[in-house]
Amino acid sequence: MKIVGLESLVFAVDDVRSAARFLVDYGLTPVDVSDRGGRFEAMDGTAVVIARQDDPALPPGPTPGCRLRKTVMGVADEATLGAIAAELRRDREVRRLPDGSIESIDDCGFVIGFQVTARRPFVLPSEISNAPGGVVFRPVNSLGVPPPGSVIRPRSLSHVVYFVPDVMKAEAFYVNRLGFRCTDRFTGTGPFLQPAGSLDHHTHFLIGAPPHMHGVEHFTFHFGGPSEMITNGYRFVEKGYQAFWGPGRHILGSNWFWYFNSPFGCHIEMDADMDQHDASWQPREATASADNSQTFLLKMRRKWYPGPGIPENGDYA
Amino acid sequence: MATTREGARPGWVRLCRADEIEEGQSRGFDPDDEGQDSLFVVRWQGQLHAWRNACPHIDGAPMAWRRDAYLNAAGTRIVCHAHGAEFMPDSGLCVQGPCRGERLGHIEFVVDADGELFVKS
Ligand code: FES
Ligand SMILES: [Fe+2]
Repeated sequence: MKIVGLESLVFAVDDVRSAARFLVDYGLTPVDVSDRGGRFEAMDGTAVVIARQDDPALPPGPTPGCRLRKTVMGVADEATLGAIAAELRRDREVRRLPDGSIESIDDCGFVIGFQVTARRPFVLPSEISNAPGGVVFRPVNSLGVPPPGSVIRPRSLSHVVYFVPDVMKAEAFYVNRLGFRCTDRFTGTGPFLQPAGSLDHHTHFLIGAPPHMHGVEHFTFHFGGPSEMITNGYRFVEKGYQAFWGPGRHILGSNWFWYFNSPFGCHIEMDADMDQHDASWQPREATASADNSQTFLLKMRRKWYPGPGIPENGDYA
Repeated sequence: MATTREGARPGWVRLCRADEIEEGQSRGFDPDDEGQDSLFVVRWQGQLHAWRNACPHIDGAPMAWRRDAYLNAAGTRIVCHAHGAEFMPDSGLCVQGPCRGERLGHIEFVVDADGELFVKS
């Protein structure tokens, strides 16, 4: 099943104007925004969609506290859409919506949608590092550090991370029913998952957690490179937003990250330079602690970003 | 460190005028110059309450999503904008989310006769 990645994430918010400002300050472009909500696009048209939490058109979340109401995935063509509908109709309802997309629910309570991808292809050089002996260099006299005032925009919706009460069941759904592959895994925590139509290390990461945490840990967009992403993060901090963890670089996936608090009941990340893998890749398994859930993030922090000057509980600066 | 006003008790740090924090509003403070707000004050049903800016879900996690933004839109709950935990503004008790049943750390404060708000330094 050629799922190419995330197309949009739909959130219920209690203050549309504040959430809209947050997304614009993050770098997204508002499209059709009113006091009832709207769409905020990256360069390729993938997006976050927000709506007032009392909007009757919003699907339910997996738990009352979860503001994520729908995860829409893009697929290559109508044939894939039909194949997904047929597969899911074997044991659940699949609705066809007026816009041609389909909607159903996964095995951990998240409403999912599928549409023929509307991603707009574009070509724009990514960050290049100069190095002695290198093959590819930045053009002479071009600068590695984004100059002050330069426009930085997220390029594409990257991944979403779910807290799920039954991680094996959730993984089985995405792998067996939708054709995702596990690229790497934290033992006792959960898998990084890649759909068949993408080379990205992950578009989904599942974290096993107790039922009262059921929901979302974070979501993120890809930026053009680490310098651009970190510059954007510093600008975001200067606007008064609250950093949570980072900037840093993950080991599994190699993506640069910076996490921030958000008005969506979960973190928002900025990421750049994620590894790509094909079917020949052998998943690695990294041992996290046996306890999952609440202590997991603390341990994951120490594990994922060790380094001088990072306090034991992570770097919140 | 903020300067202590004349007449204030030694060992206490002035934050602001108490009436600058209006009903349903919150404000963060960094009295020890840590570079990040270590506490915040909310006014709920007329009363001020001061809490450590540290979510019980992940020890020490900062809670606002933007400077001074610790509350939901209605001003009825303190929200940790990391994973959405919701707390009662007056008791600090978590009533929804990953640390339900736990409490925010309480900060002692006084409002002096001139209406100035102080916390222990
Ligand atoms: S750190 Fe506050 S809800 Fe998770
Ligand atoms: Fe991430």
